[in-house]
Amino acid sequence: MRAMIVKEFRELSRDRRTLAMLIGMPLLLLVIFGYAANFRVPTVTAAAVGPGASRLAATLPSSFFDVTRIEPSGTRADAERLLKDNTVDVAIVTGRQPALALVDGSNLFASQAIVSVLNTFGDKISSQILYNPDLKTSWVMVPAIIGLILTFIGTIVTSIGLVRERETGTLEQLAVMPIRPSTVILGKISPYFLVASLDMVVITGLGMLLFSVPFNGNAFVFALGAALFLFVVLGLGVLISTISQTAGQAIQTAFMFLLPQILLSGMIFPLDAMAAGVRWIGYLLPLTYFTMISQGVMLRGASMASLWLPFLMLAVMAVVVFSGATLRFRRDLAPSRHHRHVAAEADADADAEPHAGPGPAPTTDAGRSG
Amino acid sequence: MTATAVDRPSPGELLRADRAGRRFGDVVAVEDVTMSVGAGEVVGLLGANGAGKTTLIRMLLGLIATSAGEVALLGGPPDRRRRTRLGYVPQGLGLYGDLTVRENLTFSAQAYGAATPRLPEALRASAGRLVAELPLGLQRQLAFACALAHDPVVLVLDEPTSGVDALARAALWDTIHEQAERGVGVLVTTHAMQEAAQCDRLLLMSQARLVAHGSETDIIGSTTAVAVRTDEWARAFAVLTESGQPAMLAGRDVRVADADADRVRQVLSDAGVRAEVVAVPATIEERMRVLAGA
Repeated sequence: MRAMIVKEFRELSRDRRTLAMLIGMPLLLLVIFGYAANFRVPTVTAAAVGPGASRLAATLPSSFFDVTRIEPSGTRADAERLLKDNTVDVAIVTGRQPALALVDGSNLFASQAIVSVLNTFGDKISSQILYNPDLKTSWVMVPAIIGLILTFIGTIVTSIGLVRERETGTLEQLAVMPIRPSTVILGKISPYFLVASLDMVVITGLGMLLFSVPFNGNAFVFALGAALFLFVVLGLGVLISTISQTAGQAIQTAFMFLLPQILLSGMIFPLDAMAAGVRWIGYLLPLTYFTMISQGVMLRGASMASLWLPFLMLAVMAVVVFSGATLRFRRDLAPSRHHRHVAAEADADADAEPHAGPGPAPTTDAGRSG
Repeated sequence: MTATAVDRPSPGELLRADRAGRRFGDVVAVEDVTMSVGAGEVVGLLGANGAGKTTLIRMLLGLIATSAGEVALLGGPPDRRRRTRLGYVPQGLGLYGDLTVRENLTFSAQAYGAATPRLPEALRASAGRLVAELPLGLQRQLAFACALAHDPVVLVLDEPTSGVDALARAALWDTIHEQAERGVGVLVTTHAMQEAAQCDRLLLMSQARLVAHGSETDIIGSTTAVAVRTDEWARAFAVLTESGQPAMLAGRDVRVADADADRVRQVLSDAGVRAEVVAVPATIEERMRVLAGA
């Protein structure tokens, strides 16, 4: 019994990845999620539109409403545009009695908080929730879950598929074959890309069917965002496979990537409600930006122009992650590049020291004399 | 960059290492190895586990960069273009267990841009079976078929007969010789000393270095061993081992490589073991042991 326990501790002490999960992760989770786990949105962005907009803006409590736009000449259409483009969380249209607060229902917790605060104004301001009038959680969650499923396929399944090549020794055979590393990567991820795309269509369709989630935007914009996002997560999968020797390690590592995506991307806890020290992590996660796109397109019918920032962020992430993954994977598959570098140095040495160059093959004790 | 000798291979020279070495941190895996494989040659790379055989092979294939010296495949660095003319059977076979026999062969041929060849006779009945379900002997035959699918001019085989029965081993060696007769250069590693006789030339590695090369006869040279025949073979083995003699069991004979017969006789006599002690030519395995000890 004692021998077994000692053996287990020895193994555990040498398994840094498991140790990190056992000791580091709980501490990290406690600290990060302690600050992130907050549904209460402290401030929201607001716009006042219409005649007397400035006067109305002055009456709004600044501790909650961060009035970023005042458009005295604006109309209700302008207010809706500001919401659709996700410029503000609430746009109050003046010039009528009572003033009408249009609330972005795709931002669930912010809109709940807004409605709650607006109720204190009595009949001075009425409110209307757009894009998710019943404030259904499923309407907000389904677009985010699509991203989560794509993340799952992209990171866990892809990394396992690649690590399996290493475990079974076929990666070595691939390395010998005259196939470019980029071809190997593309060949490996293409099926996952297609399966994930199919999954995306099915989940989106089912979400619409079962939960009546609307699809108000352009399917092409949605598909483009999903494709960019898939490249990022597939790249993460390839990256994970290059730092994992076994499927178990790949799952462990992918889990470490996956958990923050679930909890810090704004999918569950609103980003606006997180402490600033933790919120920035959310802004480094691809799921954050896919969720912005999927919720924007599906619920608000947002255009590509209004979603330029998440598109840009995903594009940058796709390039960075995929380049990093390809370079690391190339190192596994094409070490001869390093060989050429070493060979070039050897050539230089040979020039300086002729005896170091290759000579005729000896006939006895070759290694010693040759 | 100055042209080096490896850019100008000897006629028919397919694989070459020139003072090649590889370190992994402080561990020297291969040191100062010079060797070559010519067209139509079957060159056996022998050595104990950890001698550096697989590392040398991986360097020759370009899978591991050299830390020192150079390697060449078909007269140049083992790059993607040159590897199109190489067939490789790794120790782990490199087959996809969840693909069928035919699918594995098709993938391998297509990866090299070749048409899928006919399956060897022994594999035809299993064409549609998943590789994971095949016995090891058939898996090895398939690995050979995949390595040969694109008509390579160099074959590198890492312990290709490991774990197969005598009949399958003979069939695999027939294939190796057929390829050599077609002019293919073959580098094959093996633990099985009885397979050394199948090679035209042997390279012996020990502790990361190439310690000898040539034919089996060249390598054994004048090295002798002492054969001890006795009914008390177990006791004889124990006595000789205790006295520091490098005794080995060969059936019920005890053999001592590179030993003095009189000294062996004396040790046994002192211990009261009655035995017939004769000096005999050493085997390749015994020569390896001597070289490793040296």
